[in-house]
Amino acid sequence: MIAAQHVGIHYLFDRQQRTVSPTTAPLRRSGGETWALSDVSFRIGAGEGVALLGASGSGKSTLLRTIAGVLEPDSGRLQTEGRVGSLLSVQAGVMSLLTGRENTLLLGVLAGMTPRRARAEMAEVKRCSGLGEHYERLVASYSQGMRARLGLAVIERIEPTILLLDEIHEALDHEFRDHVEGYAHELLAAGGIVVATGHDHPMLERLCGRALLLREGRLVADGDFRAVQREYLGARRA
Amino acid sequence: MAQSIPAPPAGGPSPPGEGEQPPRPLVRRLHVLAALTRSDLRLRYGRGGWQVVNWLVTPFALVGTFVLLRIILGRGGQEAALSIACAVVPFQIVLLGFDSAMNSVSLREPILLNRRFDRMLLPPSSVMTEGFAFGASFLMFPLAMAYYGVAPTAALLWLPLVVAATFVLAFGVAWPAALLGVWLPTLRPFATQALRILFFAAPGIVALSEVPPEVREWVVFNPLTGLFESFRHVFLYGDAPELWQLVYPAGIGVVLTLVFLPLYRREQRHFAKLVRS
Repeated sequence: MIAAQHVGIHYLFDRQQRTVSPTTAPLRRSGGETWALSDVSFRIGAGEGVALLGASGSGKSTLLRTIAGVLEPDSGRLQTEGRVGSLLSVQAGVMSLLTGRENTLLLGVLAGMTPRRARAEMAEVKRCSGLGEHYERLVASYSQGMRARLGLAVIERIEPTILLLDEIHEALDHEFRDHVEGYAHELLAAGGIVVATGHDHPMLERLCGRALLLREGRLVADGDFRAVQREYLGARRA
Repeated sequence: MAQSIPAPPAGGPSPPGEGEQPPRPLVRRLHVLAALTRSDLRLRYGRGGWQVVNWLVTPFALVGTFVLLRIILGRGGQEAALSIACAVVPFQIVLLGFDSAMNSVSLREPILLNRRFDRMLLPPSSVMTEGFAFGASFLMFPLAMAYYGVAPTAALLWLPLVVAATFVLAFGVAWPAALLGVWLPTLRPFATQALRILFFAAPGIVALSEVPPEVREWVVFNPLTGLFESFRHVFLYGDAPELWQLVYPAGIGVVLTLVFLPLYRREQRHFAKLVRS
């Protein structure tokens, strides 16, 4: 379950438009502020697939990061019940100067595995990722798609009940895209939650029966995927 | 009212293992700390035998440089390398811990922007990483002692306390360093240089007894002075360190922790916003 009540994410800037924290903001000349998310409320239950729609900068990635716990709400409250698996950045959350094997150990332990179990899962991560001999090489030599494969293979082993995908699956080749989609469907069938964003609307529609439309950090529509998509595309044409 | 998601003990709930009990929160934190340290070691020092070489190059090079400097200044003296090693070894953990902690947040940006984990462990993991280099650099002591014919004494029993005081100071310095690295990333090189100046404002190249009395009055306020001298007592003089030499640097470390740890705790929730600015 994911429940957001009046969630807000606030950014403060200095005169050079660098993000500053509330602690250091009084020490620097103000360059303004913005609410990346403002008064966002929704509830997502077990077995639901939800797409986040909206133009670039509307707050989709910020909302996904808030659900993942990467960002903490500056106002309101967000509750998640379940184990979160997230692929939120272009780098897919893997460290460039570590090998696939070393990343598996690090990410597995950060996700809650014991080091012993993370080591035991390495063979399976290597197989699932399809990286072959690249698994022993530095991630810096990987393509964006290979990083995403590694990130997803680790996520699969931590057995999440909430899967968050931020466009990253769009960097994958068709074969692995099908794998991601299949995995997301399995998770939904097992009562898990998938929250995804991206520009591949046909794929989002196959995964998500529901959509949230964000505009300038505010939730402006919440409902059936097609209805929300129509509203989004209609507003863009207008 | 601002309310945030309560963070799990260290990185999230444990996934179900086959026949495996979820570890206790403290054990989880230790697992995460070890995993961060292990990855940090790879990132900073590479892999395999090169790691050890990297750990040893800097302290040996520094001792060699300072011995050369003393010889040029006509202050070669007896046991110069051992005396300088007593300053370089503890300084390395403080300096490298500081430097590593300054980069600890930005270095983990890909993870920081992708998943929740216990960000409170980042500065300690930096000190733990440099602790390996610190441990390796102890090799200098038996080598220098053998070279100068300095026999080990019962004063070595003080070593655990001396090392503990060194780590308390290194951990204390790591909290403000991590914050500085996030708040003012462009000042990182300057901050490292400023810490290096502290080495020269302490009896690093020459022992405290060789420092002029009017200067000595001031250098004792440098927390590194106590550490350097306590190492000399253990390895060179063969007697017990003076109480202030352990209490003062450790006290500074505790004060830094008491001041900056709560601040770090408050700031870490904003790291994902700050690392990219």
